[in-house]
Amino acid sequence: MKLSVNIGSVQFKNPVTVASGTFSYIQKYSSIADLKKLGAIIPKTVTLNPREGNPSPRIVETPSGMVNAIGIENAGADCFINGKLKELKKIGAPIIASVSAHTDKDFLVLTEKFNKAGVSALELNLSCPNLKHKTLVAQDKNATYCIVKAVVRKACMPIVAKLTPNVTDISLIAQAAQDAGASAVSLVNTFSAMVIDVNKRRSKLGNVTGGLSGPAIRPIALYMVYQTAQRIKIPIIAMGGITNSSDALEFIMAGATMVAVGTASFVNPQAPRDVLEGIKKYMQKNKIKDIKELIGVMK
Amino acid sequence: MAKIQGVYKIIANQKLSSKFFKLSIEAKSFRGKIQPGQFVHVKINDRLDPFFRRPFCIHRVKRNLEILYEVVGRGTEELSQKKKSEHLNILGPLGNGFTLPSRNIQQVVMIAGGIGVAPFLALTDILRKRKIRLVLLYGGRTKEYVFNMKAFKDNGCQIFISTDDGSYGVKGRVSGLFKKIRLDKSTYFYACGPKPMIKTVQEFSKENNIEGQASLEEIMACGVGTCLGCSIKTRQGYKTVCHDGPVFDLKDIVFEK
Ligand SMILES: Cc1cc2nc3c(=O)[nH]c(=O)nc-3n(C[C@H](O)[C@H](O)[C@H](O)COP(=O)(O)OP(=O)(O)OC[C@H]3O[C@@H](n4cnc5c(N)ncnc54)[C@H](O)[C@@H]3O)c2cc1C
Ligand SMILES: Cc1cc2nc3c(=O)[nH]c(=O)nc-3n(C[C@H](O)[C@H](O)[C@H](O)COP(=O)(O)O)c2cc1C
Ligand code: FES
Repeated sequence: MKLSVNIGSVQFKNPVTVASGTFSYIQKYSSIADLKKLGAIIPKTVTLNPREGNPSPRIVETPSGMVNAIGIENAGADCFINGKLKELKKIGAPIIASVSAHTDKDFLVLTEKFNKAGVSALELNLSCPNLKHKTLVAQDKNATYCIVKAVVRKACMPIVAKLTPNVTDISLIAQAAQDAGASAVSLVNTFSAMVIDVNKRRSKLGNVTGGLSGPAIRPIALYMVYQTAQRIKIPIIAMGGITNSSDALEFIMAGATMVAVGTASFVNPQAPRDVLEGIKKYMQKNKIKDIKELIGVMK
Repeated sequence: MAKIQGVYKIIANQKLSSKFFKLSIEAKSFRGKIQPGQFVHVKINDRLDPFFRRPFCIHRVKRNLEILYEVVGRGTEELSQKKKSEHLNILGPLGNGFTLPSRNIQQVVMIAGGIGVAPFLALTDILRKRKIRLVLLYGGRTKEYVFNMKAFKDNGCQIFISTDDGSYGVKGRVSGLFKKIRLDKSTYFYACGPKPMIKTVQEFSKENNIEGQASLEEIMACGVGTCLGCSIKTRQGYKTVCHDGPVFDLKDIVFEK
């Protein structure tokens, strides 16, 4: 049974990965043997300088999901590269690092740092404010094109553009990323959302608004992956409410090359492993020899 | 590697008062492995609603793992309906529990607001072996929050009770009970309860130069330090309640407005 897939020139041993911001390796709790089996690991987004994150409360439970406003709390790229990344590498699964920045220049500095960091690919979290255009980068075709193009020129590894679903037509943004030389696109990030406490008459989040994730968004995310797969040729890393292998297979059949488990891991830490094992079982049962036979196979 | 997720059988789920329940779970693997103040993360059912797990302090581990809980919403309501022999998916033990006081401490005062009393039984199971004074100051909203505290008495605790409305014990907040205790340098505090209570304890301990620890609550998703959803401000920057806590040094907690 062949499970391997490619992003640019890099081969991953299977299509299952974890969504940025939802995976951390804590020795006390994790079994390395299981984590090592993943196709790739995408750690939390890092920025050039440390970020403290948003005031609490940072999360709220919603029907079949959650809204978060963490605010990309992180210790900064240097600290990550010299610390956590080393730990993550010990697991043995390839790493797709995730970065974000407010300016083109910071994206380029980050790219140079990660060129030397020994990661398999670099994901650009483009759900960040674009100072020039007053939108998120990934809400603007041109801004997406410019940043991806500049980063691709500097980068020694495949570049993945992670897109926000908070747009009219996500496939057009994906097209811009492809035109700029991205090796893949990741979709979707969280949907803008909020929850109000009616007794206190204020938002349940310290940051007022946040992003919705989990099974609640799955059918919308699936549609976006399907829509994007019709337009672009580069691989799609799909995410949005995947909890089990059946969910993951829906995304693959809609055209995704890789699938990432996010929020589901908070409830079931073994979800990524379960997804992988389930895909293998499905392939065995249906006599599928190569996972590629399933990508975009939907009739 | 520690296997932290398991499915365990319910031995009993008793109603202790009109507000509180005690859940006993057959969890041999927890025996001798827990630190008082640690918690477990419980999946209430196999469905997507409620979506998150629910965190509960470990009340005691003797034969079984015990949880003391208050029904406050959908999850705890459903938990209270569980019957003997049903099963629960539990992640744990999680977090860093209470550190024991140094040997020169002669008096331990535990300050509990409502269900915040839960972790203190496990603590007194250990502290009872020391020949020191154990005091529990317990504050409930009304007499409905008062339950049978025999297990604490059996561990040698002297107990003082207050209720907000005076329907049981001293009328007022639990901090009103401070005057019941003789304080000196050999006293140590442990606090668990709502944030305003912890803040009062922090102020009181500062004024009286008493060291201590507090166990905090925040809404949690992962429970293992991954999502950074349960972060609180401390003197050392943001820390996660689930992984760095839930127990913090009283001095380190920074209360946001
Ligand atoms: C480390 C830790 C240990 C805890 N130990 C215990 C315990 O031993 N016994 C016990 O009864 N409770 C304990 N709690 C609180 C318990 O987790 C909540 O009461 C429970 O999750 C509520 O679930 P629900 O579905 O019934 O309520 P919901 O319907 O979700 O909410 C009802 C109310 O409870 C509040 N709430 C929801 N989740 C939490 C939470 N994680 N912490 C605090 N308040 C919350 C909500 O803000 C709301 O006001 C602990 C919480 C933490 C973080
Ligand atoms: C708590 C939390 C933190 C997240 N942090 C990041 C992040 O740092 N960078 C990023 O690109 N996406 C982040 N995401 C978005 C996820 O990677 C993913 O795109 C989204 O949650 C949809 O997938 P899911 O429904 O499976 O979680 C975060 C999501 C959650 C719930
Ligand atoms: S609940 Fe996720 S970090 Fe604490």
